[in-house]
Amino acid sequence: MNTFVQRFAESSATKQILAGNASVVEDDDFSDAAWGSEAGFGSLAKGVPSFMIPSVPDPASFLRLHTDDHADPSCRIKIQHGTTTLAFRFQGGVIVAVDSRATAGSYVASGTVKKVIEINPYLLGTMAGGAADCQYWETYLGMHCRLHELRNRERISVSAASKYLSNLVYSYKGMGLSMGTMICGWDKTGPAVFYVDSDGTRLKGDLFSVGSGSTFAYGVLDQGYRWDLTDAEAQELGRRSIYAAGHRDAFSGNTCNLYHVKENGWEFIGNYDITSLHYDGPGNVAGSPGHGYGYELRVEGHSASNPPPEVAQAITAEA
Amino acid sequence: MPDMAALAHPQQRQFNPYSENGGTILAIAGADFSVIAGDTRQSEGYSIQTRYAPKVFRLTDRAVLAVNGFAADGNMFVKKVKQRLEWYRHAHAKDMPLRAIARLIQTMLYARRFFPYYVYNILGGIEEDGTGAVYSFDPVGSYEREACRAAGAASSLVQPFLDNQIYFKNQRPAAGTSHPAHLPLPTVLSIVIDSFTSATERHIEVGDGLEMYVVLAKGRTLQGLEGIRGMQELTATEDGERVFIVRRDLKRD
Amino acid sequence: MFLTRSEYDRGVNTFSPEGRLFQVEYAIEAIKLGSTTVGIRTPEGVVLAVEKRVQSPLLESSSIEKIMEIDSHLGCAMSGLTADARTMIDHARVTAQNHAFTYDERIKVESATQAVCDLALRFGESVHDEDAMMSRPFGVALLIAGVDELGPQLYHTDPSGTFMRYDAKAIGSGSEAAQSELQDKWHKRMTLSEAQKLTLRVLKQVMEEKLDQHNVQLAQVTPQKGFEILDEVKLQEIIEDM
Repeated sequence: MNTFVQRFAESSATKQILAGNASVVEDDDFSDAAWGSEAGFGSLAKGVPSFMIPSVPDPASFLRLHTDDHADPSCRIKIQHGTTTLAFRFQGGVIVAVDSRATAGSYVASGTVKKVIEINPYLLGTMAGGAADCQYWETYLGMHCRLHELRNRERISVSAASKYLSNLVYSYKGMGLSMGTMICGWDKTGPAVFYVDSDGTRLKGDLFSVGSGSTFAYGVLDQGYRWDLTDAEAQELGRRSIYAAGHRDAFSGNTCNLYHVKENGWEFIGNYDITSLHYDGPGNVAGSPGHGYGYELRVEGHSASNPPPEVAQAITAEA
Repeated sequence: MPDMAALAHPQQRQFNPYSENGGTILAIAGADFSVIAGDTRQSEGYSIQTRYAPKVFRLTDRAVLAVNGFAADGNMFVKKVKQRLEWYRHAHAKDMPLRAIARLIQTMLYARRFFPYYVYNILGGIEEDGTGAVYSFDPVGSYEREACRAAGAASSLVQPFLDNQIYFKNQRPAAGTSHPAHLPLPTVLSIVIDSFTSATERHIEVGDGLEMYVVLAKGRTLQGLEGIRGMQELTATEDGERVFIVRRDLKRD
Repeated sequence: MFLTRSEYDRGVNTFSPEGRLFQVEYAIEAIKLGSTTVGIRTPEGVVLAVEKRVQSPLLESSSIEKIMEIDSHLGCAMSGLTADARTMIDHARVTAQNHAFTYDERIKVESATQAVCDLALRFGESVHDEDAMMSRPFGVALLIAGVDELGPQLYHTDPSGTFMRYDAKAIGSGSEAAQSELQDKWHKRMTLSEAQKLTLRVLKQVMEEKLDQHNVQLAQVTPQKGFEILDEVKLQEIIEDM
């Protein structure tokens, strides 16, 4: 269906790209902003930054050929991928929890990625898909939210911010952007979560999880989610869900970053090592169960790998 | 007369502007210094093109950039970063701070999102607050501040070593002690040298020469750098950050 | 001075034989019709104050906006054709945000001022496909206040695109009297609250109406709290304190 739509829809960016193709492709990888203050060359609010496009008939397939896609891990330019992110709305605001692993093929490129992007003091975005796409466009969104606030003397709504981002990436549809994000915040309507992705989808909802580990996170999230969760319960649910994904999805893991969006803006709750969560739990924090999330504890003395003492003795004696 | 048999097969042609030139780079941040290093071998396939092609470049008195991947893209990228730094100096009458350079590199890389520079960048230096910093980038500009990072051909050999030696991953401190928050400069330098000698042993694209840049925060002592063999100072200004380079040989086979 | 009109009055960017651009000079004159605006720099921050001319008792004085925020560390007060200032301030805001986006740092006060001044001479005939050309010079002067790594600063810009840094500056109809008063009273170690009172005292001298919290607007930029417009309650306290 996508190809059908693509054939008949020509988004503004594709048009711009095709037009740019016909004319010269010269050194315009920076705009007049090169001068910083744009001293001497003021741009009157130029919309979107300009991008250099290879002069080939189909730039998108050029990009697909050279950058890694899940389909072709052998190509040269590895872009960081793999993730579990989640966000949900409840009585006390929005909980945002993410893992911190970035993978390039099967290599763990980083275990310390910040997948929650602090757009401004009351808006958060999450990162799934291309790390650069999310980082760049959500920072760009932050700039526009600030301009909105200066021009209109009030904060942008979460709905408007997410729509801005959605329209932006939609104009690059088919060019190879990869982004699955949740825009979270608190505005006049209360706590809000919007899912936005690079296909152009934009959904308002109570609960989302995005990324390769999302199925595992949803499993925990769905069974523990209620609107009237207390703050401590909600934070624990976020942590526990990311732990579950980190435990079962090879592309997710390392640590969990937890944020809580409240009426007066977001608050960083903490960073939790997923291995420590497994064995020892989150430590002395609100909502902590006081022990590890791993089920070793619950099967102690009953499982094959952790047999009852008399069986263990018998095995040792046999050996 | 063209070979009709060959023409009978369908042929596909592609625009392939990229190549891969091997080598490895790494950077480690200390409390008040930063070390940025790279080997100097440049190869294509199994042939060595040159034994001295620098991959680490001084940008300002407090910033050093290492680039790895496709050498032609890397050299062009460094050239353009330097150009932007100069324009910034003219427009704002100051040197660009390190975190500003990091963000600039993101925007420059991302401007080529649809025709990427095939380069992995690591930026090291001193922040405005005097702390040592390392920023690492992917080819299209996602970036992060870290304490250490290896990139390039032997990154999967070097990074686990750094994780263990710098972050003390999978190490438990002896009873009653704790891991130091920051390592002293001489320790860091020997970790860097060991990383490269080891990578040279096990990776065919690494070797020939090693260039280590050291950026020292304003007003700090040499911290044991005095005695280092092959050290040379590159600082251009008085009473600012100081930049040094240490050159070493690596095996050439 | 401008009683004799000449043919050099017609083109907006034609030099007169004496080397003057009349339209630009007239634009500078236009500012002298504007309401008085005062700015004072102190080591603790910069204070901006403007007179709001409330022409009618039916006018909502709170809707007169003559001090605007450029970014959290930059503010701007205007005098003259205030509608022109909107374009300039929006440009300053976009430039400041662009700078923050590209460099992850706040723009310097001087750079923001420079960016605003870049617009000043973009009037007249347009060069090839360049957009956003204006038919005449701006008729407004700005006082741009801000704090950056060089400390609190105050800049003055005029329609010719010239900008200069001041310790204290007055523009608008009462500027001559106000400026000499500032010259007498300004000193290096002025505190922020002294500066607040001085700006109001200077305005009071040049205003026709009796000064109260409804017909002046006061704003400040400090290293701690950045740009803020003082509300009427705070303003009243300062007025009573004077």
